[in-house]
Amino acid sequence: MQLERIGVALRPRTSQEAMDLGMAMLRAHARPVWMAWFVFTLPIFLACQGAAWLLGMPWLGLLLPWWLRPLFDRIPLYVLSRAVFEQTPTWRATLRAQWKWPWKRTLAALSYLRVDTNRSLRLPMEVLEGVDSKQRRARWRVLSRPLVGVASGLTWTCIAFELAIALSLCIFAIWMVPNETLPDSMRDVKQALTIPAFKHALVWIASGVTYVSMSIVEPLYVATGFALYLNRRTQLEAWDIDLAFRRLRQRLVEAGVAMVLLVCVMGAPSIAHAADKHADDKQVPPQNIAEVFHQPVNDKDALFASKAADVYRDPRFGQEHKVLRWVLKHPADQEPGKPPSWFAGLAGFGNLGAGLLNLIFWGLLATVVVALIVFAVRHLRGSMPSMERFEKPKVLRSSVVHDIPLPEDLPTAVRELWREGHRREALALLYRGSVVRAATALRIQPPIDATEADWLQHARTLDDPARRERLIRIVRTWQLAAYADRYPGDADIDVLLSGWPAQQVAP
Amino acid sequence: MLDTVREIETPEGVALRLRAAGAFGRAQAWLLDFVVRMAVFFTALGIFGALGRGGMGLASMLLFALMWAYNVVCEVWFHGQTLGKRALGLRVVSADGTPITLLPSITRNLLRVVDGLPGIYGVGLICSMIDPSGRRVGDIVAGTLVVHANDLPAGSKVPIVPAQPLPLPLDQDEQAAVIEFAERSPLLTVQRQEELADILYPLTGSEGTAAVKQLTAYANGLLGRP
Repeated sequence: MQLERIGVALRPRTSQEAMDLGMAMLRAHARPVWMAWFVFTLPIFLACQGAAWLLGMPWLGLLLPWWLRPLFDRIPLYVLSRAVFEQTPTWRATLRAQWKWPWKRTLAALSYLRVDTNRSLRLPMEVLEGVDSKQRRARWRVLSRPLVGVASGLTWTCIAFELAIALSLCIFAIWMVPNETLPDSMRDVKQALTIPAFKHALVWIASGVTYVSMSIVEPLYVATGFALYLNRRTQLEAWDIDLAFRRLRQRLVEAGVAMVLLVCVMGAPSIAHAADKHADDKQVPPQNIAEVFHQPVNDKDALFASKAADVYRDPRFGQEHKVLRWVLKHPADQEPGKPPSWFAGLAGFGNLGAGLLNLIFWGLLATVVVALIVFAVRHLRGSMPSMERFEKPKVLRSSVVHDIPLPEDLPTAVRELWREGHRREALALLYRGSVVRAATALRIQPPIDATEADWLQHARTLDDPARRERLIRIVRTWQLAAYADRYPGDADIDVLLSGWPAQQVAP
Repeated sequence: MLDTVREIETPEGVALRLRAAGAFGRAQAWLLDFVVRMAVFFTALGIFGALGRGGMGLASMLLFALMWAYNVVCEVWFHGQTLGKRALGLRVVSADGTPITLLPSITRNLLRVVDGLPGIYGVGLICSMIDPSGRRVGDIVAGTLVVHANDLPAGSKVPIVPAQPLPLPLDQDEQAAVIEFAERSPLLTVQRQEELADILYPLTGSEGTAAVKQLTAYANGLLGRP
């Protein structure tokens, strides 16, 4: 056994953890284990089924594979016991090796030890260690003392796992088969069980399902038992310490300190002790390097140099590294740093590309800056007129609402305003004058809060249809001007200003 | 190196080692929990049975609580341990090693519906066999992990002998190995002790019993004893 090659992290584990390690081992080497498992067990399983069929005893197909489990167990154990030392065997090698592996204990396991809950733990000890019977009993006592309960617990858990997987497979299968596709004879289970062929089929199915669940759980059972065995031996023989010591020895021998040390061991302890005592006396931790040495320090100081060398010998600080690197055999062939001519051309092309890209990016940056400026200017300019537009109606309203006395000659005043371009004011004046005159004509006090709609109502009470029409038109024109900013043409104004109410006409 | 440990490094550079638990311990813990819960339920059923139909209602409510709330309550308020997990030395933690909180606990226990398929935990069993950390579907979705919580088997105290300083500086792992040897050597046979100590001849410069004594003295020195 070469402990250095072990592929499992050795450390003290509880037995629960060791069982989990078994699962991890199986997971890591799943392919070779199951490959060998199926190559070995599938023909035997089929042979058992064949024998059961020939003998006409279907239950034999269920019983024989179960009975032969200790035989099957050899396969995962062989693969795993090699795989943890990183010598994973192929399935061919596994099968070939079975001839040479001891058979005596397997035969015992197949006969009088068949119903043994410690099989998983007994198996690696008996098959891998191969000691004679007297020694074996003593060995078993040592090995199994704290593990008997765990090993039987493992066996029962694995039985439960197998049952769970087998039942799950059956239940899933039943769920997947639609009830309608079943033949009539199988709808009713009680009735179906009276058919002997159905009973036989059930046994065949059961043996198939048990084989599948056994194939899943049995390698796990063996792997877990093997992990328990490894853990127990790690406890008994301190394998992890063994490995650590071997590594340390390797390092020391490589560092070449062994011989030097032999001398040191004799003389050093007293010196080191003295140093330690010195350190103990001083409770305050040293603040700088000069305090450590109790004297000013310079590079040429012998004590400092030796201490520094000590520090560098500590593997945490100074370590020699071996660096492997490819070096040209004939460095003269090509001067370093001077690329070949075609490369120069390529480099020139590359430089050109880089320059172009540079240009493009600068251009993009310039575009972005310009776009930002344009946006800012437009935004500023756009915001000014909008403010003006907001204020204009205010001015207008004040001029409209302003209560100036009506001019004597209304059409002239309106025309004047219209011609000057104050169209809104002109129409406002016309509207105001018209409604005042309409109120006079209707003999009502002009209501101060009357809206355009009110005046339209009043207009409809006028007797003369021509007057009625004109007043309505004036109100509408004003409404359009005031609320929609839509103005009539010059000709329309002339029409509005002709006759009542703009002209003072005797009623 | 094959191991079941999940290593998590904190921002402070501390490596936490979570010893993930696999299907065996968890199945045993579940079975124990199941037995306890059924015992409680049937005892209560006996008491509620005297109350007639109202008692049946109370019993159904109790069954519901035992099915769905028991795990969550135990995990969130009792250090991630149901009774079965406590007995087996298991604990539910978040995937980063912090204590489990309410929502992940609810998630992982609600997903028992999936793991329980088809009624006997077939899906959960296969899933935890495949997953390297032994998680079932609920654990993977909720971001939780079941770990071994109990202490590792430790050796006895290092025998007290006059300390000796190490003749040359050793790595931390190497110092740990020397101390471990001194702790565990009383559990080993004398031959094995000497065999192990002989490996370190380059360090101790002695063989056999003397080497064992020498290493024990070094361990005392490393532990800061006089």
